[in-house]
Amino acid sequence: MTMSVTTPKSSGRINPRHIRIVLSYLALTFLAIFSIFPFLWMLNTTFQSQGAVFSLPPKLGDMIFKPGMFDAYKEVLTKYNFMRYTLNSLFVAGMAAIGQLITASLAGFAFAKMEFKGKNLLFGILLSTSMIPVSVTIIPEFLLMSKLNWLDTYLPLIVPSFLVGTFGTFMMREFFSTIPNELVEAAMLDGATTFRIYRTIFLPLSVPAMTTLFLIAFIHNWNDLLRPVLYISSSSLRTVTVGLTSFQGEYGARWNLLLAGATISILPLLIIYIFAQRYIVEGIATTGLK
Amino acid sequence: MKYSKTTPYFFILPMATGLLVFRLGPIIVAALASFTKWNIRTAPQFIGIGNYTEAINSEIFWLVVKNTIEYMVIFVPGVMLLALLLALLVNQKLRGIAFFRGIYFLPYITAMVAVAMVWNWIFATRFGILNFALTHYFHISNPPAWLADQRWALPALTIVAIWKESGFQMMVFLAGLQGIPTSLYEAAAIDGADKKQQFFKITFPLLSPVTFFVFINTLVIAFKTFDITYTMTGGGPNYASTTLVFYIYQNAFIYDRMGYATANAVLLLLIVGAITMFSFKMKERWVNYAL
Repeated sequence: MTMSVTTPKSSGRINPRHIRIVLSYLALTFLAIFSIFPFLWMLNTTFQSQGAVFSLPPKLGDMIFKPGMFDAYKEVLTKYNFMRYTLNSLFVAGMAAIGQLITASLAGFAFAKMEFKGKNLLFGILLSTSMIPVSVTIIPEFLLMSKLNWLDTYLPLIVPSFLVGTFGTFMMREFFSTIPNELVEAAMLDGATTFRIYRTIFLPLSVPAMTTLFLIAFIHNWNDLLRPVLYISSSSLRTVTVGLTSFQGEYGARWNLLLAGATISILPLLIIYIFAQRYIVEGIATTGLK
Repeated sequence: MKYSKTTPYFFILPMATGLLVFRLGPIIVAALASFTKWNIRTAPQFIGIGNYTEAINSEIFWLVVKNTIEYMVIFVPGVMLLALLLALLVNQKLRGIAFFRGIYFLPYITAMVAVAMVWNWIFATRFGILNFALTHYFHISNPPAWLADQRWALPALTIVAIWKESGFQMMVFLAGLQGIPTSLYEAAAIDGADKKQQFFKITFPLLSPVTFFVFINTLVIAFKTFDITYTMTGGGPNYASTTLVFYIYQNAFIYDRMGYATANAVLLLLIVGAITMFSFKMKERWVNYAL
């Protein structure tokens, strides 16, 4: 037997590295379809005229590239107030997330670099209370908010998150611990106050951690449903998640409009993610893993 | 670092105020309420451990505990495996990898209310796309009713939950993978270790602290699950997809039984606490901190 079964050299051997790359892309694409399929369908439905919404198998949106392609978006934004809801959510989530950056970084600095009475107790309370689900504490919280006369304002949605975030404080503490004490001592010799050290050394170094924290806090507050449902009664104060839920209750059959609203609710988060993405891995890496 | 005794308190003051007023306060009230009969409108009435004995003797309570554990047993390994797989894939230096990372992260950033409608539609019994595919392309004549089916409602919710959470845990794994020095892989390759050996001898042991972090994290998330149940099944059919936090919500807001709801919450905490403590005990057996 002289016939060789190996590939002749002239046609070029298949490089195992290339096979691996092709297999990787196949796996990446397959999993990407699983991740993104619901969104694609959602998006496609927003380009359907009313009658075509329920067709099976799903058809490509019949309004795509036609005049009036974005009619569903126009209608929910203007007629059903989603513009207002989106701005409300931006305000609430933005304030809560910015607040958390301030308070979590202040507290994280004290936890990482200072000694004080009650430090461990306070940190223990912070961590252990974060295990308790909101639905347990929401009723006493509701009673508290009504005593404070905060019902139907944004204060109950903003203030608690603004002041205290477990993940954020933990994350900032972990990150600040990695900053060498020599840096602090040197600044001290130059006569800097503790607050100045925090502001001019620690904050600038923590951009990746703070960006990640902002993204997570923003997502969390933007997507919250329970608190806005309980605390907000005026329709002009509704956040986008509440807007979606009530729209679903009132005009449940208008799928293309409903899903246009849902798409609008995701868009700002996607934009923030795109800006923050290069910091996320680094932000998570420096914190909370050890 | 030199600072006056009061300085640290200025730094923690905002956080500590929030913690005591908006978190610890309501928790203490809730814990006290677990010993009362309380419908919110009238004053609470002390009944000792009545709520606890009622829960322990209630069939529904145990069914809900069983559901919660079933959910956890699929959710935790599901998220961990998928997240690790995704992280390994997106840790490669390939063109367009940032795009894939973004796609996998997308479910995590989305509000459940926004995607629940689409998932409801996927799982819909007669006009859902899943059953359409099962009957038309796979010729299964009697596909399950999914969300309306006692046996399938909870698994269906779990799949959605895994889909939603994996992107975030992928980022955590990815951060861990990028912390492993590449020189280790180079040295192993010189010694003739193949990819499989490299994974089990380097990646896996060095990733174990991160794996543990992800494990504890997903465990707590599993016990807190609420949004998905609320938006997709409302706990039904017939309690089949009711998990503990949803049950607590039902008792508090629908049946106006605040005392009983908080007693359940305390029991939930005991269960989570016990499992977490057990996990930390088991940690030394497989988590490797030494480099």
